[in-house]
Amino acid sequence: MATKVVMEALSPTMEEGRVVEWKKNEGDPIATGDVLAEVETDKAVMELVARAGGTLLKRVVPEGTTVPVSQLVAVIGDKGEDISALVGGGAGNGGPAAQTTKPVADTTAQRTSMPPAPPAAAATESTAPAPRPAPPPGVSPAPSRPGASPTAAAAPGDGDRVKASPLARKIAAERGLDLHGVAGSGPAGRIIQRDLEGVAARPAPGPAARAPQVPAVQPVPAGEPFRDVPLTQIRKTIARRLSQSIGPIPTFYLTTEIDMERVAEARDALNARGEGRISFNDITIKATALALRQHPACNAWWQDDHIRYWAEVHISMAVAIEDGLITPVIRHADQKSLRQISAEAKDLAGRARERRLKPEEYTGGTFSISNLGMLDIDEFTAVINPPEAGILAVGRLAEKAVVEDGTVAVRRRMRITMSCDHRVIDGATGAEFLKTLKAMLENPLALVW
Amino acid sequence: MTAPLLIADLGRRGYGEVLSLQRDLCRRRVAGEITDDILLLVEHPPVVTLGRGTRATSLPLSADAIGARGVEVYEVERGGDVTWHGPGQLVGYPIVDLRQHREDLHWYLRELEGGLIDALTALGVAAERTPGLTGVWTGGRKIASIGIHVKQWVTFHGFALNVTSDLAGFGLIVPCGIHGVTMTSVARELGTPDDAAAADALWRGASGAVVAAVAHRLDRVPAPAGTTIVPAALEPA
Repeated sequence: MATKVVMEALSPTMEEGRVVEWKKNEGDPIATGDVLAEVETDKAVMELVARAGGTLLKRVVPEGTTVPVSQLVAVIGDKGEDISALVGGGAGNGGPAAQTTKPVADTTAQRTSMPPAPPAAAATESTAPAPRPAPPPGVSPAPSRPGASPTAAAAPGDGDRVKASPLARKIAAERGLDLHGVAGSGPAGRIIQRDLEGVAARPAPGPAARAPQVPAVQPVPAGEPFRDVPLTQIRKTIARRLSQSIGPIPTFYLTTEIDMERVAEARDALNARGEGRISFNDITIKATALALRQHPACNAWWQDDHIRYWAEVHISMAVAIEDGLITPVIRHADQKSLRQISAEAKDLAGRARERRLKPEEYTGGTFSISNLGMLDIDEFTAVINPPEAGILAVGRLAEKAVVEDGTVAVRRRMRITMSCDHRVIDGATGAEFLKTLKAMLENPLALVW
Repeated sequence: MTAPLLIADLGRRGYGEVLSLQRDLCRRRVAGEITDDILLLVEHPPVVTLGRGTRATSLPLSADAIGARGVEVYEVERGGDVTWHGPGQLVGYPIVDLRQHREDLHWYLRELEGGLIDALTALGVAAERTPGLTGVWTGGRKIASIGIHVKQWVTFHGFALNVTSDLAGFGLIVPCGIHGVTMTSVARELGTPDDAAAADALWRGASGAVVAAVAHRLDRVPAPAGTTIVPAALEPA
C-alpha cells in the first residue's frame, strides 16, 4: 500500500515550502522517521520525515521546487508497486486549468488547485516561488468606484477582514472611508492607496465612524520612487508561456545600428577643451538614461508577482574584474552631466577592479549597459541582470560605407543590441525605446536639451 | 517555576567549532540528553556562510576569491541566503525545543525578530520588521539577520546582530540575496564613538539586552550554562 508524502505545514501560517534537497533517492529503502528531504519556508529549514516505511518509489518534484502545503511531493510503497494513479492525476498535478479564479485568501483552494512550478524554471532558478493563483479577472487594474463589487475586498471565508495596505487603512481612517466594497488592485486583491481615489467618504460602521477631515480626493504624493503594478491576466499568461519556452527569463534581442558621426564630433569638441576626456561609453550611459526617462516601461524590475516600474533611472554598468564582472551603479544618470557621469564611471570602475565597492554601489540598478566596443567587438548579446528587465550590449565604433541620399558615404557607426525580459518588455516597447536612443545619439544636442 | 534558558557566552570563536557544538547540542536535545533551552552567544572571525536559499547572484565574487581574502566560506543547513559574520557582530544560536513552545516555525522566527527589536529598543535604536523579509530593520537599513534549521522541532543556527561590525565585510556578498539592501549597525545608528572603551560598553549592553529579550520572548529565565553543555575546551578564554 503506497503512502503519499505531502508538503507539511511547519507553521499554521505556512502556505508553501521549497524542497531544498532530497536526502533519499528513488529506490532507497525508507524506515519510519528517516529524513526524506529538507524544506525551507521563510528563513527556516526543516526536515521532511517519513511517516511510513518501504521504498521511495517516486520523488514527485525536483529540488528547488516550491510547492503548496499538502501537495504530493513523494510516494513511499512496496518495490514494484503501481503508483500511476497517485502521481498521474493526483491533486496538484493538474494543468494550468487548475489555476481557477479562487481568491488568494482561500488557502484551501490554493493548496489543492496549485500546479507545481514548471520543473525547468525550478531547476535553474531555485528561488522562484511557485506561481500564485490568479485573482479573479477584473479585479486587478479595474478603477474602483463606491459600491463596486466586493469580490476582492471581502473574499469568501475572509469574514469581516478586508485586505488593505497600511497606508490605505490610514487614509481610510482619516477620511472616514468604509473599505468594504472597495475593489483592491494590489497583490491578491489588496486595497492600496490608489484604489481610494474617488471613493466617497461615508461613515465606517462601528464606533470608529467619524466625519471626513480631509478632501475626498488625495493626490498621489510626489516623490514616490517606484510604482508597483499588479500583473494583468495577459501579462501572467505571457510570463508563464514564454518562461516555459525559453528559460526562467524569456529573453529576446533587438539590434540597431546608430550613426555616431555627430556624437564623435561632439566628443572631439568636448575633449579638445582639455577638461577631462569623455568616452563614448559615458555618452551612451547618458543617452540611455534619458531615453529610459521617456520610456519608463523599460526601466523596470520583474518581481515574480508584479512589475516594479522605477521613477528613478539608475544605470548598472558592467565592469570586468579579475575573476568575473560586477555592475556598479550610476544613480540618477539621467540627471547628471556628462562630466559627472564620466568622473563617476571612472571612479566606480577603478574601485570595482580593486574590489573596494560598497554594496550600495553595485546594487539597486534599474537598467544595465555592457560595452565591449573597446575590445573590438562589433556586436554581441548581453545576459540580463535580474531583476532588471533590460540590458544594452554596445559594440565598437566602426567606419562603414553607408548609402545616404543615393551616394555612398563613410560614416562611423555603432551597433547596439538590447536584451529584453519579455515578461516585462514587449517587442514594440523595446523597439520604441531603441528608436529614441538612436535618435538621441544621432542628434546629440538632444542630450543637453 | 519558569524553566531556564541556559546562556553560554563563548566569546570569540571560529565558525567551524561552534557549528560542530551546535549540531551536537541539537542532537543531544533531540535524544533527550538535554532538557533545557540553550542560547549560545559568540563573535566570529570574518566568515561568509551560504544558507539553503542562496542564489547564485548573491555572491558577486567566487567562493575562491572570498577565500583568497582570508575569509572562510561555509555552506550550511540553515534557511536563508548568504550572510557575513565577523568581529563586532553578536551572533546568537538558540537551541530550543519548539515542542515545548509552539510547533510553528513562523512563530519562532517572529519571536526572534521581536526579541531583537526589544533589545534594540532598550539600546535606543527604533527597529522594525519588514513583511516578507525575515530579519530586523531600522529606517530601511538591515541591522540583524536570521536563519535557522530545525531538526525534529529542535532549532539551531539563529541570528546575527551588527553591534560594532565593520560593515565593509558585507561588501563581499549581496546580504541575504536582497539586492540594494544597506546594512547598518547599532554603533552606526547611535553614532557611538569609534574607540575601544565605547565599543566594549556597547557590546556588553547589547549582549545583556539580547539575553534578556530572547529569554522573555521564550518565557524562560536566563541562567548560566554549565560544562555539561559547553565543553571546557570551548569555554571563553
